[in-house]
This record gives sequence, structure tokens and C-alpha cells, in this order.
Amino acid sequence: MLRRLAHSLGAGLGVAAVCGVAVAHGGSLRGASGSSLAVPTWLFLSTGGAVVGASFLLASFVTDRQFVADVHGWRRALPAPRRLLAWAGQALGVAAFVVLVVAGFFGPADPLRNAAIVLVWVAWWAGLVMATYLVGNAWPALDPFRTLTRPLAWVTDGVRDLNADRAAWASTAFLLALVWVEVVSPLADAPRLLAAAALGYLALAAVGVVIVGHDTWFGEVDPVSRLFRAYGAVAPVERTGDGISLRVPAARLTERVVDTSGGVAFVVAVLWGTTYDGLVGTPAWATVARAVVDAGVPPVALYPAALLVGFVAFHQLYWWAARKARETAPTYTDAATLAVRFAPSLLAIAAGYHLAHYLVYFLSLSPALVSAVLAPLDPPTAMRLVLPAWLSGVGVAAVLVGHLLAIWVAHGIAFDELPGRLQAVRSQYALTAVMVFYTMSSMWIVSQPAGSPPFL
Amino acid sequence: MTDGASDVTGDDATCERCGERFPSERLRDLHRGLEHYRDLTDAERAAYEAAYESETEDLQSFRLRALAALVLLYFGFLMTYAVVAL
Repeated sequence: MLRRLAHSLGAGLGVAAVCGVAVAHGGSLRGASGSSLAVPTWLFLSTGGAVVGASFLLASFVTDRQFVADVHGWRRALPAPRRLLAWAGQALGVAAFVVLVVAGFFGPADPLRNAAIVLVWVAWWAGLVMATYLVGNAWPALDPFRTLTRPLAWVTDGVRDLNADRAAWASTAFLLALVWVEVVSPLADAPRLLAAAALGYLALAAVGVVIVGHDTWFGEVDPVSRLFRAYGAVAPVERTGDGISLRVPAARLTERVVDTSGGVAFVVAVLWGTTYDGLVGTPAWATVARAVVDAGVPPVALYPAALLVGFVAFHQLYWWAARKARETAPTYTDAATLAVRFAPSLLAIAAGYHLAHYLVYFLSLSPALVSAVLAPLDPPTAMRLVLPAWLSGVGVAAVLVGHLLAIWVAHGIAFDELPGRLQAVRSQYALTAVMVFYTMSSMWIVSQPAGSPPFL
Repeated sequence: MTDGASDVTGDDATCERCGERFPSERLRDLHRGLEHYRDLTDAERAAYEAAYESETEDLQSFRLRALAALVLLYFGFLMTYAVVAL
């Protein structure tokens, strides 16, 4: 019986992981075919929700304050030639940017043979982001935009102090705009457009650096830097003042990774961005979209409106949980403080879903990456790696581990923030409910057959 | 980091050392023991230990209920899978 349960669950989640690959990107990369679930959808979804709820109950058994603090505080310093690594990273980042632009404009039109497409989507958006939450954040060193705009920092008068909250809100708006562009534009298929977009982003960064200063732009406003920093907080390797140190994965999320309500909005936008990306590929969305367009709403307005409405809903839901935590705990700590403290736990969930979506995608397209990088202007015909079936199980494990980490991190934060042990456990009720909702909605999306978004 | 909203009712207590407000005396005593243990008088330390003991008792009963919920969840799903997926 247990084996049957495990098998059905595994099959369901495995399909979810495979479909996740399909919905992750538009165009030619939307190739995987869906297959039917072994159990009804409602049971599949409630199992996912129950796993999250059960992990909350299990975490509530750990009430030894010292143990929780020791786990999160453990660290070991590693020697690292930071300056050398930074130089190497900058050179590599700029070289990759040059290859991206040259191959984008002059390379072959076939997306999977074009170095620009595979560098951005396979190496950067799948590979580097995975490395960021699995190992550590190398983006500040690699970031070609940061390196290439550095000369501007010498010309302009330098740093401008920006309100940290407003900068984080601006970053959130930029991130939502990037998600919108990624969904509605054929950036995953059109190398010329992608190269132009990369140059456009460089121009945007240059304008940003001139207006607010280099450090403020890349430290506060730039959504890509902020995204990598957020994912990097999940990683076991941390950059310290005099080198790097090793920590328990996700332990850094219990610290003040987020410090303003704008930062909370950014974390929610990271979560909602991955959800929206999948949502617009579902048949249910196609039905709703057609009905709305038939009612007279122009398709151009539909996508950004849905993006904003969904973001506001997710954001409101999270704040509802923070306000509810005050009542259930009970505590006089204000809702804003609780919202800011608990927000980083959502990043572990986002990282888990990212790994489930992109691991198979990254590995299967890695030969295309190697061949396109070795011969950017005339690569051999793209190949796909044939992967063993058990690999989708790694995606399932990633989703589960992401949730377990999030529950554990929120548990640790509650113990750090509140004086009572029972109070800390009780403060988690609403947040756990929100996590259950989030899991179920994401699992519903990835269990749907993937299609192309209509009206694009 | 507390505000003056009165939507949490109960017997309020304030920490004399840092001014933080708590919804109950037990939470205030726990806070004093965790944050200001070195400065506490013997009576306050005794109050902290009493609060800790009383909370441990409540935790025991919470754990029993959590265990019951886990067992219900587990067997509920086991039965559901037996009915639906067979």
C-alpha cells in the first residue's frame, strides 16, 4: 500500500516536474509532452498541501531554542583568493556578454544552435541561477552590466542615497516588467531580439548608474542583482568580509535578508513571477483569456493586468498572514516587522521550484551549450542529452526539500523573534496556510498540459 | 518594535528594562529571562523559570494534539489513496 502511494505520488510529481520544463519557456523550448496523472488532480494537489502541513507539525516538535540557534549559526571559514576570483569572474562575464551580442546578431537563426539563446536561457537563467542557490552567488563578480558600467561611476559624482524601501519597490516594478517582457516577447526564439534586449538592458543600467550611482543601482535598484542576491541567501556558501564561509543551506534566510516592506514585495514578486510564467501556459488561462477578450478587453492590456492583479493578490495574502500571526501568537510585534522577518522563507520555496523546472531542461540542453560556446558563429547541429527517467525524481525531491526548508526557516525565525516557544509555533498557522495554498496552486499549474499563451 | 494597537486583548505586561509590551505576563517573564537574564533579581529569575515550566506543560499538550493531527492526516490519506487509486 505504501509503495503504491509512493508510486502514485512520485508519478504525479514526476509529471509535474516534466511539465514544469515545458511551461518554463516559450517557443522552441516548449517541447515536452504532457502525460496523464496516475491519481485525480484534487488528490494530487491535496497530497502536496498535506506534505507542507505535516512538515509544519513535525517542525513544531523541535522547541529547543539553543539547538535551533546552533543549526542556523553554524559556519566554517574557507580560504579563497577573492580578488583573483573577482577578476576571473569579471573577465568571464564580459567575454560571455561579447559572445552573446556577436552571436545574437551574426549567428545562426536556429535558436538551439545560437550561442546567444543557449548562453542566456541554458547557461544563465537555468545553470547560473541553480548554482546561485545550490552553491553561492557569483553574479556580482560575473555581472557584465556591473563591470561595463564601472567606468561611468568614475565620471558621475558617485553614490546617491536612495530610500531603501522605495528602491526595493522600484526593483519589484522592474522585476515584474522583466517577467512581462519574458512572457509576451519571443526572446527564447529570436537571437537578434535577445542580443538587442541585452544591449538595451546595458543602456538601462548605464542610465541608472548615472542617475543614482553605481553602488546604489546594483545594490538596491537593479532587479537582476537583487534576484541573484535573494537566491544566494539560500546557498551554503556565504561571502564574508575576509573570504567565504560555509553554512547550513538556507540558514542565512533566518537573518535579515529582507529589511523593508519593499523587500517583502520583491520576494513575493519572485514567487508570483514563476507562478505567472506557468499560469499563462495552461488551458484554463486560455479559456479565461478568450472570454475576457471577447468581452472587449484588448489583448495588449490583458497580460500586464493579469500580472499586476496576481501580484497584488499574492502580496495581500502574505500580509494577511503576517497580520494574522499577530493574533494567533499572540504578540504586540507589529505586522510589518513580522512580514519583513518571515519573507525570506519564501525564497527557499522559489529555489525548489526553480530546480524542479530547470534541472532536466539544463542537463538535456547542455550539449547545445557546449557546442554553441565552442563555435559561436558556426556550431554543429544541436543535440539533446537523453536523460534517465529517475532524474525527474530529483525535481520532486527539490520541490519537497524547498518546502521543508521554508517551514524550518520560518520556524527558526519565529523562535528568534518571539519569547514564547508555543507563541512561536502558533505564529506560524497563517503562514503555513499560505504556503499550503501556494504549493497547491503551483502544483495545479505544473500538472496542466502546457500550451502556448493565446494572443501573443 | 511594538506598536500601540489594542487589537490583541488580554492582561498586558510591559518589560521594565526595554519597554516592550507583551500580551501576557508569562510572555513578559519569558522575554526577561531570554533577553535580560544577567540583570534579573532572584524573584524575576524564579518567575522566568515558572513561566518556562508552565509553557513546557502547554507544549506537551500541543505536541499530543499535533501528533493526533499527523496520525489523522497520514491515515486519512492512506484510506483516500486506497479508495481512489486502487
